[in-house]
Amino acid sequence: MRVYARYFVNRFLQFLLVVFIGVNLAYLITHATPIDPIEHTVSVATAFGHTAPEAVAAMRESLRELYGLTGTPFEQYVNFWRRVLVADFGPSLSAFPTPVSTLIGRATPWTVGLLGVATVLTWCIGNLLGGLAGYYRRNRLLKAFGIFAMALHPMPYYIAAILLLIVFGFVWPIFPITGGSQMNLAQGWTVDFALSVARHSVLPLLSLVLVGLGGWFVGMRSLVSNIVTEDYVVYAELAGVSRRRILTSYIMRNAVAPQVTGLAISLGHVFSGALITERVFGYPGIGSLLVDGVNAGDYSLVLGVTTVSILGVSIAVFVIDLLYPLIDPRVTVS
Amino acid sequence: MKSTMVWLAAGVVAGALHLGVTPPAQSQGLPRDIPRKELLILENPEGTVKNAGWFNIWAINANSQSNGLQQAALDTLWYIDPDKGINGVWDNSLASEKPAYNANFTEMRVKLRRGIFWSDGVEFSSADVKFTVEMMIKTPGMRWSAALANSVASVDAPDAETVIFKLKQPNSRFHALFTVRWNAIWIAPKHVFEKVDDPNKFAFEKPVSLSAYVLHSHDPDGKWYIWQRREDWQRTSLGRFGQPAPRYLAYVDPGPPDKRVIAQMNKELDVVHDISPEGMFTLARQNPTSKAWFKGFPFGHPDPTLPAAIFNTQLDMFKNRDVRWALTLLIDIKAVAMASYRGAATISPIHVPPTGRHPEFYHEPMQDWLAGFEIDTGKRKIKPYDRTMAKQIADSLRPSMGNQIPSDPAEVARAFGTGWWKPDQAAATELLERAGFRKQGNQWLKPDGTPFTIRVVVEGDARPIMTRAGSMIAQSWRQFGIDARVDVAQGTLLTRRAAGDFDVILSWSVETWGGHQDLSFFMDSWHSAFVAEPGKPQPSRNWQRWSHPELDKLIETIRTIDFDDPKGIDLGKEFVKLAIREMPSIPLMSYNVFTVADETYWTGFPTADDPYANPVTNWGNSRYMFVKIKPKN
Repeated sequence: MRVYARYFVNRFLQFLLVVFIGVNLAYLITHATPIDPIEHTVSVATAFGHTAPEAVAAMRESLRELYGLTGTPFEQYVNFWRRVLVADFGPSLSAFPTPVSTLIGRATPWTVGLLGVATVLTWCIGNLLGGLAGYYRRNRLLKAFGIFAMALHPMPYYIAAILLLIVFGFVWPIFPITGGSQMNLAQGWTVDFALSVARHSVLPLLSLVLVGLGGWFVGMRSLVSNIVTEDYVVYAELAGVSRRRILTSYIMRNAVAPQVTGLAISLGHVFSGALITERVFGYPGIGSLLVDGVNAGDYSLVLGVTTVSILGVSIAVFVIDLLYPLIDPRVTVS
Repeated sequence: MKSTMVWLAAGVVAGALHLGVTPPAQSQGLPRDIPRKELLILENPEGTVKNAGWFNIWAINANSQSNGLQQAALDTLWYIDPDKGINGVWDNSLASEKPAYNANFTEMRVKLRRGIFWSDGVEFSSADVKFTVEMMIKTPGMRWSAALANSVASVDAPDAETVIFKLKQPNSRFHALFTVRWNAIWIAPKHVFEKVDDPNKFAFEKPVSLSAYVLHSHDPDGKWYIWQRREDWQRTSLGRFGQPAPRYLAYVDPGPPDKRVIAQMNKELDVVHDISPEGMFTLARQNPTSKAWFKGFPFGHPDPTLPAAIFNTQLDMFKNRDVRWALTLLIDIKAVAMASYRGAATISPIHVPPTGRHPEFYHEPMQDWLAGFEIDTGKRKIKPYDRTMAKQIADSLRPSMGNQIPSDPAEVARAFGTGWWKPDQAAATELLERAGFRKQGNQWLKPDGTPFTIRVVVEGDARPIMTRAGSMIAQSWRQFGIDARVDVAQGTLLTRRAAGDFDVILSWSVETWGGHQDLSFFMDSWHSAFVAEPGKPQPSRNWQRWSHPELDKLIETIRTIDFDDPKGIDLGKEFVKLAIREMPSIPLMSYNVFTVADETYWTGFPTADDPYANPVTNWGNSRYMFVKIKPKN
């Protein structure tokens, strides 16, 4: 137990270091943006109306004060960490004065819901069928599925998404092509809303699953193909253990361990959003928020999103590190 | 095993069908519980609004403007139409009369309409106007704070229908701040904002409305906004023109251009704000109920905005007008029109957009001057203007587009423009050589012997029309031996344009009212007093950072004459002549917006034949559509 506690502390310190370095890099990169949020705001505000040029200079000054962009770079950096430690990224500069945490909080459930379900679904189907295909190598249905998944896998995601949109949104318009739920339907814990969300997520989910399936399928099939030739599997077969038991207890359990690591990392990436999915299907989420932030030079928003993403991936890896010795008895904490 | 697979497949199919096979109206992108026949669905080009529950338009850049807020719910003193207007170009909206200035333009008096009410039943009065102005002056950092603080010495409301502005300096165009082109200073409800501590941080989540619609519901994620016609719509300024026909308006984010086309063909989007030329051609071909501004080519509504190739005239290589003219003479406008708009462009040889009433004021009367205009190359004099250029574009399109291309000269001029500058490589060579440039092998060198390189900055996918135009222009210059490269700015465009971080930029520095002859809307900001030093941010709109004593004189004279003074046209023509001689930017065409209305549910949208309003959905004055359209059947 003491050994495991030491292992935990080690991993936790590593986790903190990774987060610290990641967030600092994000801070440096976002502050090196060539886009000046003040200039962007001024340009947007004066793009259409009649604004006297000397008034623009005054506008610049008052905005710099209002947005809190005064002070030395070091003071700004210290303020940033002070806020991050209490999960406050300050106000968004492109949606001033709304706090960045509010914007992220609003977008995150959509992204996590869609990408979380898509990742888990893709992982389960891909690994299950990959495992079966690796074990039942002569099964025609599985072979056909393998060809199908491999054909879809290299297809650029954008093309697959547009194809689905055209087929099910235009040629045979049975699914909505935009939004996360129906217009004029109040958001809440109601059956109506849940069904509407489910209906709106079918096409984005399908696009993610179809294109993502091949990777897991091929990985698992290869792992299983190697394991079936191991001595202990051959011995089990010769000993007359049922095929189902060999598959589930002897093969899949061993093959799934590296795949679980992959799943954890993929789940961590969920917080980065899926920009193309959001853009193509008009689905709300964190990806569009990030790009809007980048385009507007809104480094508070960009930092908020990237910090959440860094935390997501780091926590996923940390949890997997902690669980690994428990999942795979071959891995010892020593 | 096989049975497991079959069950799995069956489960997936059943699940998909359960979610998909529902009545069409439910499964598509239409609002729940709102009759389609009472609903007009318009595109909000802002896309998804990050800060969806924020309706305080007076706070700078905090929220959406064109989610229906400025088109359906807000109002101000006056409107100018970019075309002909519902009842003339000028509309006294909350004001009952045009602005009245004193002799030296240091005071502006406004008479207001009575009988106009906010949606919560409070009567609108001069107190609201005074409060709006004072609130923004007192609170720095609001959208119009600087503009008002800069101009207004005091504002008084001696009675409920009179407002008197005392100005800090003479300004014959002060009313422009309250005159809607795309937007203007909207009047805020005093009875709401006077209770607020910091107007910069007040969301105005439940907006009270001054125009004919009030907020019905909106998406917390910013994808859609639904507005409902007020029961007391007669008590708004729009009520003068009758009852707005749609009971509901939905401003939605329909997604990228391809999806807008699909949405309109699925009858889920009545008015598209803008699409690509290819999308426009698809709708024209496949959706008979889709109607654009023009019946046929070039379809789009020409906005009073002038895309141009803008030189950074503070760079040594562009200080000489011979160089700027040489580069102009290397451009084939027909190729640019084809590359950018697939031919659907309205070209302009002068620094005024060929739209609204400008052709009548400037383009047509100046044809003879343009035809006689000469350039001295140092070796000879040339007359570079070709008045048949637009006709040539129309002729080249006719074989593929057939009778969609007009043949009547007046129609051709209205749709495609008039003439432009003839490509002339020999003259360009002579002008460059006179400026000290020389050609070595296949490469042009600057007077200091270094290669003549030009960075042509374009925006990228966000503005494909301009990007394609920029690529074609760079290609023309490259073919001539100039090292011209396209530099895609993407999101950095606004910052780089203001910072002068470009050699040539595809953008616009000329925007006008469209329906009115006055050019001060952009010209005033071209005064030399406002030109920033190299490296410092340039206030909009003189992105070319060009100054000229004659230009200053013209601007100063315009400041002293009345907005409607016919002398304004003569001064405008003088500006055009100066700009042509100096060519600080190369005018290309109007910004044609492919706004497409579907007539399945509503008819009577504005068109070139009935130009009563701007159909472009995010313009404040698109509101006049609501009272002119009628339900079909």
